[in-house]
Amino acid sequence: MVRVKSRYLLCELNVSDRSSLLLLDDRAVSAAVKAAVARTHGDYGAALCSIRFNVKYLNAHTGIVFLRFPKSCYRLLWSALPFITSIETRGQKIPCFFNCLHVGGTIRTCQKFLIRYNKQQLHRMLPTCKTKEEENQVCEAILNCSLTGGRREAFEDEFESEEDEEE
Amino acid sequence: MSVFMDLNLSFTADKKLLQSVVETAAHLGFSTVAINYVFEPTAKKKQDIPSPTPINELIDQLPVVQGRSRPIRVLNRLTIVMSDSSHFRPNAAEYRCFDLLAVQPTTDKLFHAACMTYDVDIICISVTEKLPFFFKRAPVNGAVDRGVVFEVSYSAAIRDSTMRRYTIANAVSLMDTCKGKNVILSSAAEKPLELRGPYDITNLGLLFGLSDGDAKEAVSSTCRSVVLHAETRRTASGIISTMRSCSESSCQQEAPPAAADSEAPAAKRAKHQLPDD
Repeated sequence: MVRVKSRYLLCELNVSDRSSLLLLDDRAVSAAVKAAVARTHGDYGAALCSIRFNVKYLNAHTGIVFLRFPKSCYRLLWSALPFITSIETRGQKIPCFFNCLHVGGTIRTCQKFLIRYNKQQLHRMLPTCKTKEEENQVCEAILNCSLTGGRREAFEDEFESEEDEEE
Repeated sequence: MSVFMDLNLSFTADKKLLQSVVETAAHLGFSTVAINYVFEPTAKKKQDIPSPTPINELIDQLPVVQGRSRPIRVLNRLTIVMSDSSHFRPNAAEYRCFDLLAVQPTTDKLFHAACMTYDVDIICISVTEKLPFFFKRAPVNGAVDRGVVFEVSYSAAIRDSTMRRYTIANAVSLMDTCKGKNVILSSAAEKPLELRGPYDITNLGLLFGLSDGDAKEAVSSTCRSVVLHAETRRTASGIISTMRSCSESSCQQEAPPAAADSEAPAAKRAKHQLPDD
């Protein structure tokens, strides 16, 4: 059996103001990537970027993005990502940058990594809760989530709810 | 996962900005950063070398590094932009306050001198202009033998497209000469949004003409050897260090090398810090 091989880049969008993340959508991210590739690698890059490039997943709350690139040229396309300084969406320019966390061959390995990563983030952020009540609230939110949604949603929701309390 | 370092964060007087830059660096996974003070002497009047602000005054609480439980380590670094040989004074007392010492030569002769004789850790390659001289094999090889590294900073490339051309052109011509050895990639970031993650920088090395392995070394192990090289500059061959004890000012202490760089296991030490250094 032969299959078409791709590389999935798990990237984190870092912004100075976290609330502006909610404005993002797939199309804005994909346009920003395409523009950056065309800027750095010219027509050749733009051509490569038009085959099978896709924004597979975007979590506007945590700023996690999955990008799919063809395996043959993903390094070339990846090298354009550091030159993205802002994403334009809904008439606004959001200054941000991509931080690549993981490169995977399948979307499944990326998901596994993301779950582990988000768990780590939770452990990092939990000590920043100021009172015991806050901590309890976070724990409750986590328990509620894991009952309803799938496994992955659960982790992302918990992450988000916790951030809300930090602010 | 190896230890990543970013040995160039520009110093700004704005404390809050600097703090957020360090926090972002910790979030991205850099476990050591250096705050860079640039000193550019001019011929007309005599200027003072900036003195470093102590780290604990700049940053109240050091953020914890991503994926580790240790707080980030912050160093001080001085960069001297040289246009004349009198600008670098060997053994100046002011240099001793800094952890790292870098020079940015602007002429061919100074580059040769910096590579072969000056007692520095880093030689910066200018990325904002066309290279004023060619890199020659002899001085570059001399620098590699002495354990001095070349630095290419990437944040100018992010800011502007013309700078990007200069950065890539200068970097590629450097890599041709030194074959990817003894190169570090650093940010020179002033704002938190000018930093990039370590894996992105590694991949950026591809554009600069580095191979996979060399690019990864440029953000990890070469940086560590720079920090260790800087420590040997202050101590006698990295074996004996003297410090003033608090009670008796004349008493000198002898510290074993394990105490001087206790973080690095002996086996992983860089190859450059042999006693002839």
